[in-house]
Amino acid sequence: MRKIFSSRAVVTIIISLIVIVGLIAGSNWWAKRTNTPPFFQRFGNDLAGGVSRIISVPTTAIGRSANSIGNLLDTFEENRELKSKIDEFAQDKVRLQTVEEENKTLKNQLKLKATLTDYKTVSAVTISRSPTTWQSQLVINKGLKSGLKKGMPVLSGAGIIGRISEVNTTNSKVALISDTSEDANRFAITIKGGNGDVNGIVTNFNREKNQLIMSQVTSENQIKAGDLVETSGLGGVIPAGLYVGKVSSVTRDDYGLSKRVNIEPAADLGNVTTVVVAVSQIGAQ
Amino acid sequence: MAFWQLTRLRVVYPALLFFLLFVDGSLMAGMGGILTAFPWYILPTLTLVWLFYAVQFEVDKDMPFWLYVILIGILFDMYYTGIFGTYTLAFIAAVAVMKQLHKILDERLLSGISIFLIGLIVYLVVTYGAGFIIGIANVSLVTFFAFEVLPTAVLNIIVVTICYYPTWSLFQFLK
Repeated sequence: MRKIFSSRAVVTIIISLIVIVGLIAGSNWWAKRTNTPPFFQRFGNDLAGGVSRIISVPTTAIGRSANSIGNLLDTFEENRELKSKIDEFAQDKVRLQTVEEENKTLKNQLKLKATLTDYKTVSAVTISRSPTTWQSQLVINKGLKSGLKKGMPVLSGAGIIGRISEVNTTNSKVALISDTSEDANRFAITIKGGNGDVNGIVTNFNREKNQLIMSQVTSENQIKAGDLVETSGLGGVIPAGLYVGKVSSVTRDDYGLSKRVNIEPAADLGNVTTVVVAVSQIGAQ
Repeated sequence: MAFWQLTRLRVVYPALLFFLLFVDGSLMAGMGGILTAFPWYILPTLTLVWLFYAVQFEVDKDMPFWLYVILIGILFDMYYTGIFGTYTLAFIAAVAVMKQLHKILDERLLSGISIFLIGLIVYLVVTYGAGFIIGIANVSLVTFFAFEVLPTAVLNIIVVTICYYPTWSLFQFLK
């Protein structure tokens, strides 16, 4: 009978598998321990980041125009709705509505501005995103030179989207909250409950439901769906008051001893073209 | 075959391979809204498509192909994940499987698609396994196949089909 594998091939395959598994586990362990990667890796990443920046220009433009086309379609819908309202209401009512809308957005902006005073912000542009099964990370165009450090929270649009996981000289990687690795989404949060705040830590992300999970909650304070969740600032690196999302449901854990809170994240992790890195003034050494 | 013709393929092929590695990331960033619209999770794998073309059109014999595969795997790991080994192994495994299958199947488009499909599944399954080793896999195998492998295969097979003959012509020109 013809052998499919010679014994030498089997030994080679086994040894290479052991080496690769060791490499994966080892480099993962090393990446968690260090703030910046070793010189060679950093140099390579900076170089790759440069190439990526050039290539991202046309693809980002295409992506943006696809979004604008989507927006344009929405605009058409919106326009039609508004027109029908004009028919129904008098001119002054439309005017009142516009002013009210404007007032609401301005108020929202002011509120965000007030919380922004606690920390300094560094804005950055997304140049790439890992096309990988796990650890979908963003590569942003700011790094050590702009004062970024590992662990800093990254915001986009409505709320927090992740944390800096690796800092190179001119670019850095952002681990998204949808990532289960420990350095991505384990941050201290507080739920603004009906009768007092509930503090805790994000313990997991349920990718199948697109929800953050805060488990081992023993507080007796009432939590209900729709309650707002924000960062508590405990730990020092992440400033307080960054919007995380809303409570979607509260369940008991497997033993019935503590509560498990499912949180709907506010930020859209799909379309992230620009981000803001929050540099806590308290945490800054 | 003249030496300069051999060199032409040796330059153009890795240059495009290198370029496509970054195009994958840029596509993921630029079109993230569409590609990761919940519950779908679609990956552009143009790098793997390009490696497949080399296997399918047998241009791998005219250049240090395995070296390119290993180097692109290391670069991928370094730039996109920071964890070494996963994608290096995924690229090597996928290419090895595609090469074996190519010996059995022919150069017709449908055979090519089957080879690529199996290669892509191997590639994705290796990354799934690697996620388990470091404890970051948080999706069940069923969800993984339904919402990631399936749509990723559909998207990339469309790309393979559209670019099949143009790439074949390009390789004929470069050879």
